Amino acid sequence: MAYSVLIVDDSPVMRSFIRRVMSLSGFEVGECWEASDGEQALAQLKEHTVDVILTDINMPKMNGEEFLKRLEEEGTLRSVPALVISTDATKNRILRMLALGAEGYMTKPFSPESLREELERILGARNASRA
Amino acid sequence: MPHELEQLEAASPDAGFTAALGSVSAEVLETMFFTEALAVECEHGWVAGAASVLVNFDGSHSGQMWLALTPDAVPPIASAFLRLEAAETSKEQRSQVICELANILCGAVLSSLWPESRLMLDAPQLIAPECGGQGVWHCCLALEEGAIAIWIRLSGVPETS
Repeated sequence: MAYSVLIVDDSPVMRSFIRRVMSLSGFEVGECWEASDGEQALAQLKEHTVDVILTDINMPKMNGEEFLKRLEEEGTLRSVPALVISTDATKNRILRMLALGAEGYMTKPFSPESLREELERILGARNASRA
Repeated sequence: MPHELEQLEAASPDAGFTAALGSVSAEVLETMFFTEALAVECEHGWVAGAASVLVNFDGSHSGQMWLALTPDAVPPIASAFLRLEAAETSKEQRSQVICELANILCGAVLSSLWPESRLMLDAPQLIAPECGGQGVWHCCLALEEGAIAIWIRLSGVPETS
């Protein structure tokens, strides 16, 4: 099954890296949308249906924390899981993002295999809960 | 000794932190930039002509991390990160990749040194090359092509909460 993905990161080269790494890892990506901050991502979600959101934290305009809060308020996280990808591996930050509704948290550096495993865990859990 | 001085003393450069800086940096370069990195003795003659990036950080600890890359190291790092041929990468993409490298290095190193801390990173910025000075942690790594030098300097007294 190919999944549609929304990548939210202010760095174009990081978005490109994630997109390529997902494909390289064997994770089946269908449509892949991109946004450079939370505001753009919310607009993308109004236009497109996605299976999973991958989001950075430090972004201009609307950062990852605000973005997750908005997704939670709008009920989006009930149907679309969000995976945070960040350089920040401090415990406080990880716990905060999970408390805001993130389904997973990956810290950079990460390997293609670990990204695929985390995406499969998140989507597998979501599919299992729907079954 | 006053409490503030004790804190600064505790945060001063030492071999353990320098080793952590080197090992975490090597892991970042190998995992996400697909290049081997080996700690080498410092020789900074090349820094004046290097590509350099600065990241300011704040939170429980505040300060700066900056790195310098030999010019020949930049195209293969950008190429590996973007999975493009070196000739296919633009100057703008190469700049963005080394900024991303600085961002990842800074977050990974600080999180590793202080996992219980609060951390906020500013956007990386390209800067004129500079070597470190007093009170910095530093490491030099040889890459498959070229070399990288990394410095971290703390400013002020770390929060203790």
